[in-house]
Amino acid sequence: MSSVPLERIRNFSIIAHIDHGKSTLADRILEVTGAITQREKKDQLLDRMELEQERGITIKAQGVRLPYIAEDGLEYQLNLIDTPGHVDFTYEVSRSLAACEGALLVVDSTQGVEAQTLANVYLALEQDLEIIPVFNKVDLPSSDVDRVKREVEEVIGLDCDEVLPCSGKTGEGVKAILEAIVRRVPPPTAKVEGPLRALMFDSWYDSYRGAMGMIRVVDGTLAKGDKIKMMATGAEYDVGEVGVYTPFPTLVDKLEPGAVGFFAASIKSIRDTKVGDTITHLHNRAEEALEGFQEVKPMVFCGIFPTDSDKYPDLRDALDKLHLNDSAFLFEPETSDALGFGFRCGFLGLLHMEIVQERLEREYNLDLITTAPSVVYNVYTRDGEMVEVENPSRLPEHRERIEEPYYTVAIHVPSDYVGAVIKLCQQRRGEQQGIQYASQNRVIITYELPLAEVLFDFFDKLKSVTRGYASMDYELKGYRPNQLVRLDMLINGDRIDALSAIVHKTNSFPFGRALAKKLKTIVPRQQYEVAIQAAIGSKIIARETIRALRKDVTAKCYGGDISRKRKLLEKQKEGKKRMKSVGSVNIPQEAFHAILKVDA
Amino acid sequence: MSGSMAVEKADQRLTSVYVHFPWCARKCPYCDFATVKMAPEAVPHVAYADALLRELQLRQASVEGRTLASIFFGGGTPSLWDAHELKRVLDAIRGAFDDVVDDLEITAESNPASLTRSKAAGFREAGVGRLSIGVQSLDDAKLKFLGRLHDRAGALKAVHEATLEMPRVSADFMFGMPDQTVEGLTADLDAMLATGVHHVSAYALTIEKGTLFGELHRLGKLRTAREETYAEMFFAAERRFAEHGLAHYEVSNYARPGHESRHNLHYWRAGDYFALGAAAVGCLGSESGASRYRNEPLGTRYLEKAASAVRPSDLEESREALTPATRVQEAWMLGLRTSEGVHAERVQARTGRDVLEGREKEVAGALERGDLTFSDGRYRVPSERWIRLDGIVASVF
Repeated sequence: MSSVPLERIRNFSIIAHIDHGKSTLADRILEVTGAITQREKKDQLLDRMELEQERGITIKAQGVRLPYIAEDGLEYQLNLIDTPGHVDFTYEVSRSLAACEGALLVVDSTQGVEAQTLANVYLALEQDLEIIPVFNKVDLPSSDVDRVKREVEEVIGLDCDEVLPCSGKTGEGVKAILEAIVRRVPPPTAKVEGPLRALMFDSWYDSYRGAMGMIRVVDGTLAKGDKIKMMATGAEYDVGEVGVYTPFPTLVDKLEPGAVGFFAASIKSIRDTKVGDTITHLHNRAEEALEGFQEVKPMVFCGIFPTDSDKYPDLRDALDKLHLNDSAFLFEPETSDALGFGFRCGFLGLLHMEIVQERLEREYNLDLITTAPSVVYNVYTRDGEMVEVENPSRLPEHRERIEEPYYTVAIHVPSDYVGAVIKLCQQRRGEQQGIQYASQNRVIITYELPLAEVLFDFFDKLKSVTRGYASMDYELKGYRPNQLVRLDMLINGDRIDALSAIVHKTNSFPFGRALAKKLKTIVPRQQYEVAIQAAIGSKIIARETIRALRKDVTAKCYGGDISRKRKLLEKQKEGKKRMKSVGSVNIPQEAFHAILKVDA
Repeated sequence: MSGSMAVEKADQRLTSVYVHFPWCARKCPYCDFATVKMAPEAVPHVAYADALLRELQLRQASVEGRTLASIFFGGGTPSLWDAHELKRVLDAIRGAFDDVVDDLEITAESNPASLTRSKAAGFREAGVGRLSIGVQSLDDAKLKFLGRLHDRAGALKAVHEATLEMPRVSADFMFGMPDQTVEGLTADLDAMLATGVHHVSAYALTIEKGTLFGELHRLGKLRTAREETYAEMFFAAERRFAEHGLAHYEVSNYARPGHESRHNLHYWRAGDYFALGAAAVGCLGSESGASRYRNEPLGTRYLEKAASAVRPSDLEESREALTPATRVQEAWMLGLRTSEGVHAERVQARTGRDVLEGREKEVAGALERGDLTFSDGRYRVPSERWIRLDGIVASVF
């Protein structure tokens, strides 16, 4: 693979609101530069994980090296660093952006500026990147580049002197985009001869090669065989392989200043590859590490337990490995009276939580029971001490006050739906901060909302009251005291810790009643009568009874019927896999999430 | 070959034959069996027998080396069929097998309304030795509710006359109907058993999808007994049968000693069965698994297909391959329905797979809870827990 001088390297990202066509455009860029042939083409090639392809979203950042002969006749090295589009993965976006000098801002020309468009632009501006707006999906009849261009200029304040219309679907305009990158994105600045400094912006575990890192070489050169030191963790290794994605992993002898690529060094301990760490040479060390990344703080917690308690060590192992691929989630051992040994895990948001759960089940073949998500409460005891509580069942008895996290939520919506959005936010204990007209019929509504309310089905409700037209961005605002109480659920008189919730006092009675009713529909009938009760403190506020199962037998089973009966039993068995037996009662997974579906 | 191996080999060759007769004089509102209403005078007696003989001929190869274990004419209402035509089919089946067990059990299902004494005599002459009669109830109101064509008096007469003509007679009975009481049920059972019947199948009324009852139930227009009532009747019936000397040998079946349905026991032992006729289902095993076929369900279409069929698959609607693991699952599901239970070694000999494989922990748990017992090489569910059998089977499935 030929190398080019530093001034002909361009490191850039693509940023966009979810569904604005970022990955499709990235694929098209790969094709136009000749990185992939038609034969290798697979839609959204950059979405590496099976899960990403299925959900059509990008979760993990990736870097691909693309050789490109520009109109000036010179060969350039374009390093494309893909980024996720969902708000939960903002931290991955900022990490990728730290490895770049420029960013393509993809805006759907049939839609316009959405919440994540704006949020991503701010991240890129923080990194001082050259931002190139491009208008995607011009092949669609509803495309309106002029209107969207005006929105970009007015809402974001970006100059659109050079309009770059394109279509990821047809490939139209891609060539012009590549020329704009060459012309407008500055080359990296690097100390070519200086001691090595490389920023690790992603890491993952490969079962053959150990922990691997994705790096951007800032100063100096990293070559195969080099002895390296990780500046934050202090770990020392011999580099076994260096390489780049083309998008296929390709080994090279060295990564030169300004380059983006991966390395492997038979790193067994997964804790040694810390995202944000600086890599330098062991014998010619850099004085100062690069600025790392701010540790992201998980905001959403849930318990994860193996359905079969024997699988606890497997779950621990899987979490360890997954954590290397995704350092943003936290986990620590937890014991539940109801569910046994498991882990309390922290996530950046609900989607992040779902993805980790799915990856655990799919990639590590585990059957899991997860509890409903909870936020982190700051609880002040009477001695003035503050305790962080991320598990409702652990709420201390003697407390002075509870504070809960609030988010500032920005909702972009067509003006027709303003009323519906305001109503929803008011119901969710929100406080309006402002209403701003982005254009004649697009409105940005800003609310401060308790995060707990955002967790409980808020996004789905928002989508449904706006017919899918709303987009949303949020960031932590701070903590506020509120009248909160712990609601406990009892099954046959025993408190099930995994079903406890922290709710607002004014709503606690109707909520408890609704939750008991909901559970009645979820918990299957058992051999004995089952009582479901809701309690606040020692006071029972609701009771539902599930009648005992008195008859559970198929009357007739002969030759012609055997297959059908067998399939019914198979179904029943599959359902049982997803149940946890608590005391003598089988509780399905769904019950632990009932709280998210209660309308009270 | 050791003695027990020889027994096992012989056991694997045993094959029952099921012949389906796809027509009834009237379709009952609860019945989800493959049957279509047909006026008795319109039944294609000869054509149907010809079609069955054609199918038997096409399937001759798969009968080779097997031992005929039992024959069952089910339906539908086989008692609508001309005894002479039934005999033609019966004789051909016997002739198709190289080997036949001693004292071959041959059963025909019938309805009190279409079973005259001369009909019973005709079937007996044709070779049938066992009649299974769809009595269902001896309460005229319940019979009307069930859409039956007979009344109490007709049913008792039909059963009694059958016992005079046939060596073995069984009656079907139903419980769990709205307004039925335990006292009413046991009084009916007493009257039924007084006829000298040898075997009774007592079923809980089951609401099936795709039936008139199913539809009414879905619309909230059909009352059914409460589960508690079902359970009460189930145990009351069991006690009453025991007092009369009939053993509870399968969830819904009771017999005087030696009068168990051998044909049905063969199903519950997960034995091989061969099938002929519209909607009939057969299942034949081999070393590597088993294959289950389902014939064209509609009688008239089956007749058309049989006329032009050149291979067995021309008559089939579907075919399903069963892996050894699936066969073991079925052996559990079926065997646990009976008092003789699941014979671990026999199932292994037939399927080539250990019955415990993949369910060691679950079986151990069920044994510990008392849901299962193990003795004389057999796993059983104690009969007092049969009322919850499905959940128990699912736990070891």
